[in-house]
Amino acid sequence: MENFINVLLDPLKDFWTGFIVFVPKFIAMVIIFAGGVVIAWGLKLLLLRTLLAANFDTWADKAGLTAIIRKGDIWGKPSDLSGKILYWFIVIIFLMIGLNALQIQTIDKVVSQFFLYLPRIFSALLIFVIGYVIAGFISRAVLIAAVNSGYHYAKILAEAVRLMLIVFILAMVLEQLSVAPSIVVAAFSIMFGGVVIALAIAFGVGGIDAARRIIEKGSEEKQEAEKDVEHL
Amino acid sequence: MADFYQTGVIITLHKLGRPSLEKIESEIVEFSKQRPIALVLPALYTEFQADAIKGIVEELKKVKYVQEIVLTLGRATDEQFKEVKKFMSQIPYEVKVIHNEGKRVKEIYATLERNGLSPGEDGKGRATWIAYGYIIASGKSDVIAIHDCDIITYNREMLARLCYPVVNPHIDVTFCKGFYSRVSDRMHGRVTRLLITPLVRSLQKIVGFHPFLVFLDSFRYPLAGEFCMITDLARVMRIPWDWGLEVGVLAEVFRNYSARRVSQVDIADNYEHKHQPLSAEDAQKGLMRMCVDISKTIFRVLAAEGVVFSDAFFKSLEVAYLRFAEDTMMKYEADAAINGLVFDRHEETKAVEAFANAIKKAAQIFIENPMGTPLIPNWNRIGSAIPGIFDMLKKAVDEDNK
Repeated sequence: MENFINVLLDPLKDFWTGFIVFVPKFIAMVIIFAGGVVIAWGLKLLLLRTLLAANFDTWADKAGLTAIIRKGDIWGKPSDLSGKILYWFIVIIFLMIGLNALQIQTIDKVVSQFFLYLPRIFSALLIFVIGYVIAGFISRAVLIAAVNSGYHYAKILAEAVRLMLIVFILAMVLEQLSVAPSIVVAAFSIMFGGVVIALAIAFGVGGIDAARRIIEKGSEEKQEAEKDVEHL
Repeated sequence: MADFYQTGVIITLHKLGRPSLEKIESEIVEFSKQRPIALVLPALYTEFQADAIKGIVEELKKVKYVQEIVLTLGRATDEQFKEVKKFMSQIPYEVKVIHNEGKRVKEIYATLERNGLSPGEDGKGRATWIAYGYIIASGKSDVIAIHDCDIITYNREMLARLCYPVVNPHIDVTFCKGFYSRVSDRMHGRVTRLLITPLVRSLQKIVGFHPFLVFLDSFRYPLAGEFCMITDLARVMRIPWDWGLEVGVLAEVFRNYSARRVSQVDIADNYEHKHQPLSAEDAQKGLMRMCVDISKTIFRVLAAEGVVFSDAFFKSLEVAYLRFAEDTMMKYEADAAINGLVFDRHEETKAVEAFANAIKKAAQIFIENPMGTPLIPNWNRIGSAIPGIFDMLKKAVDEDNK
């Protein structure tokens, strides 16, 4: 009978022991998370003030960053968006730290993987933003150059250049984020290679006559030069 | 039937005989293949509760040459916007409704504001201006026609006659303004009859020959809200956002194009829309506010043309205006008599007195601050200051219309 009661009570005792161990960890997690929310809110406020003082929104409008945000159907101010991103980023970090305080093996693994992945997210974001601005700049330069040269399809050419650069940047971003890197690299190589081959074929086929004229002109000049020598 | 007299320095296109609407429309269909037409309709939600808009939509359903309609809607909630969108969807070609009170378009205004490119306050000026921006952004149309949404006597002939001179490459004008008479049992259009014409003519008397005054005086109905123009004009045009809009548009046309490429066309035998109260006691309301804004715009345009204004000038103007307005009233009284129309001399005199006060008020505001009401920047400047603005505007309107 005593044995039976022990069998009945042991799991409850284990649960209680576990519960006693878990509760302080859980409270620690809640405190860390709540502290994180407060810190995130404070940093968001600080960032917003700084961005406001630095006229970040007007800079973003002029640099084309606002246009990128709008493409995603986001209609707040760029500074507000930056504030929100920072807020949620810090909240997530503190949530991870808080979960770490629970000292559960599976969660620990996820948390360590998350922190290892962070630098990749940063660099991918940086590549995208800088790349997008550069793509816009190059596209505009192509447009101006093509218009000044009287090229009829200047806008299409500039858009094509911009599109290619964005595809290139997106491939780099996905590669950086380790999202199916082999497939991304292969797809990009095939696509980019295809475009280059298409251009080479187009130039080759379309430029046969031009190439012939250049070669013929070269050989004629050579013959003329030889004749000149004979006359001397 | 009208006479065929050519008024002033611009081309006047009369309605002579019984022109065939079908013929004009079939020609426009052909011309519009080369020069696609966009129709801008500025409207408030309240106009969708009246009957006029129903008649307009019924007529527009029969039009076959308009590439796109851009209805720019003011003072509407999200629900009312959806209602308007649904109502407009019965038109069998592309219709885009700009939700000026929606979060997306409001954010566009906020973007402009923070970049020092204020689009001004809510009103017809800003509403039409944003519609021009959308048409430029969508890049589909070479010609923009515009008319109000409160025309009770609307028929599609108005639109056809308005578009024809601009879309026809043989006439090839850059701007065409509509004109018409506004008569029921009496003559309406008090601001045009008793303010604009006497004011312009008294200014001519004081200033002497001035090309802008001659240009303005050439229009039979300078305040008509119906006009058609090439899209390029919408790019360079700086317009006031207040009631000075119509005169401001004419000033920009004068500034940018030769009068030989400007026309006015008789679009209707009669025209009826809602009437504004006079509000003689309050310069912030009704026709009084309209008259103050119009007078200010005329003064500012003339100042920009080099005319020097002073207190003495305005005192002379006040007296000259009253004399001209009284003479004009006599002419209209005779005109009303021969046509069997009611002519309330007392009401007309009251209107003239109110308009004289409006001119005085406008002069006072102008002297205090000649740059008083800033003009909305033109789209070329905005595109240069914020390179992505056209994409943003297109995205905003297209998303709202999904």
